[in-house]
Amino acid sequence: MKILIVDDDPINRTILQRLLGKEGHEVITADNGRDGVDGYVRHEPDLVLMDIRMPGMNGYEAAREIKSLHATRFTPIIFLTAVTDDEGLVQCIDAGGDDFLTKPFNRTILQAKIGAMERIRQLHARLTLQKEELEQHQERVHQELEVGRHIFSHIVSAGHLQDAPCLNHWTSPMTLFNGDLLVASYNPAGGLHIMLGDFTGHGLSAAVAAMPVADIFYDMTAQGFSIGDLAEAMNVKLLSIMPRRMFCAACLIEVDHRQKSINIWNGGLPDVLIADESGRLVQRVVSSRMPLGIARMTREDRKVEILEMRPGFRVFLLSDGVTEATAPDGSMYGVERLESHFDGHHPPERLFETILKDLEQFRGNAEQSDDISLLEIVCDRASEEPKGVEEKRQRTAIPPTPWEVNFTFSAQTLKTVDPLPTIITAVMNLQAPIGHRERLYTILAELFSNALDHGLLKLDTRTKKTPEGFLQYYSEREERLARLKEGSIRLELNHFPRWNGATENEPSGGEIHILMEDTGAGFDLNQIHTQLHGNLGHGGRGIALVKSLCHSLDYQGRGNCAKAVYRWTA
Amino acid sequence: MVTMPIHTHDDAGVITITLDDKFVFSDHRAFRATYHDRPPGSRYVVDFRRVTYMDSSALGMLLLLKEEGAAGDRSRIKLINCNDQVRKILDVANFVQMFTME
Repeated sequence: MKILIVDDDPINRTILQRLLGKEGHEVITADNGRDGVDGYVRHEPDLVLMDIRMPGMNGYEAAREIKSLHATRFTPIIFLTAVTDDEGLVQCIDAGGDDFLTKPFNRTILQAKIGAMERIRQLHARLTLQKEELEQHQERVHQELEVGRHIFSHIVSAGHLQDAPCLNHWTSPMTLFNGDLLVASYNPAGGLHIMLGDFTGHGLSAAVAAMPVADIFYDMTAQGFSIGDLAEAMNVKLLSIMPRRMFCAACLIEVDHRQKSINIWNGGLPDVLIADESGRLVQRVVSSRMPLGIARMTREDRKVEILEMRPGFRVFLLSDGVTEATAPDGSMYGVERLESHFDGHHPPERLFETILKDLEQFRGNAEQSDDISLLEIVCDRASEEPKGVEEKRQRTAIPPTPWEVNFTFSAQTLKTVDPLPTIITAVMNLQAPIGHRERLYTILAELFSNALDHGLLKLDTRTKKTPEGFLQYYSEREERLARLKEGSIRLELNHFPRWNGATENEPSGGEIHILMEDTGAGFDLNQIHTQLHGNLGHGGRGIALVKSLCHSLDYQGRGNCAKAVYRWTA
Repeated sequence: MVTMPIHTHDDAGVITITLDDKFVFSDHRAFRATYHDRPPGSRYVVDFRRVTYMDSSALGMLLLLKEEGAAGDRSRIKLINCNDQVRKILDVANFVQMFTME
């Protein structure tokens, strides 16, 4: 050990130096407090033996200074003292001394005290090392979480939650990672898909499970699948990856401004609240399904609630973190207090803000115990274009070439699946006119549902003109589809590359000829044409819309065969 | 303070688990211990009479009980004495499809 002796008495110094030297210690000496502090700084001893009364700086002052030099390093100081009164000894400890040794020195006691101090010093050194390791570890974990959070937030925020004009949202994660997954994205037909998922647990484990769910959400929405399809695919994925005790309460919503409908699938989240133009609660969609990741879904489980979107409607979607938010006294915010805002006496356009303010006030400085999410859909703004949306998934475009595909869907196929998303994806892989996907999808979707709803199922659009008729239309559709035994729809696509003059051999666009033929009775063509303009009204299927997107649209045969020509340029 | 959050009573292979007023994540060890290592074929009655609050992780624990304690057999687990609050939470998650309620 390296020991520093600070004593103005040369005899004491010599005795101690000999004694300690014999024990094999390295000894440094100083004859006053000031030199003692300097010696401490220069030699960094393991132990200091300190006299009290010295000229200039005394032992107490020197000890205080030495102790103040290093906050983390522990160097024991043993005071050498002639005093034995309690007061004096207490003063030694107060000054930062760790022990004291009374003169005249007893060799055995000196050795014992040095030994004891050495043990404490080593213990301290070990603790310091462990503390440093722990701090480094924490720092590393924190950095990794930070990187994880960055990646996570980019994966889940890839969609249109921020830029859809009809959405207002607020989320407050309890930890670095949000256990509530809130995502939104437009489907190829311009409809908006929204999902709120609340995983059991918080933080990292919830976030890890949220990632594949977000992926499925974006991927299948972009391909045009319905929210029922999405829920089923997510359920299958979560069943295969999550431990038994974990699941995801979720609600999926599709806002279809063309059909003026809101489709809702609620599995385990609080009631979705719908307010009318005066801000009064007019409808609620209770959870009618099990959360995702618990059991396999049946056909019934995929079904969604279809609501008619009326002017001024606002839809509120929330996680149970809202109703279960606690005040400092432990009481819960509760459903009643939440719904008290929907009494028609609050300005509807400020409902979202009002709820958030009230919630904040209620919670005060209470610690947050769950992730909190609230989202509002302003239906009147559902048809507004998203701000600054660009094609996020670029595909390699094949140069325009001639091709032709032909599909025929039997009644059996039509009642089991919606074949459209798969077909659109196939066509897009064949020829990917970037930026045309949405329009092509809309054209095909409109023509397809015309063929199915009116051609095969013989439904009348006019039914949808009244609110009762709207719901009747969809339940009727479901029933007739389930009963459908015969009939088929044939889709034929022909692509003709068009040369754009400039360079002879490089076509820069093309023409897609779409033929949608059903085995139904067909339309009265004259009636179709006179109805064309009125048809974009309430709930109307948009033949006029298709016409506006196409180069041309004609009905052939007995009105059961639509022929559309779509032109595109790169 | 020593608490006995979960009380278990075994009556000839029918294990009655009486929960405390809050059924939350911190109970997961104690809850699991109530059915861990029980002979196969054991039946369970989960008594909610004292429960005033449960969270979603508690729902997860019930799923685990069904899976691990009752081999997924719905008929071997009964949930009894659920008050309105508890019933609401079970209803929202549609647990009526998974468990027998009384």
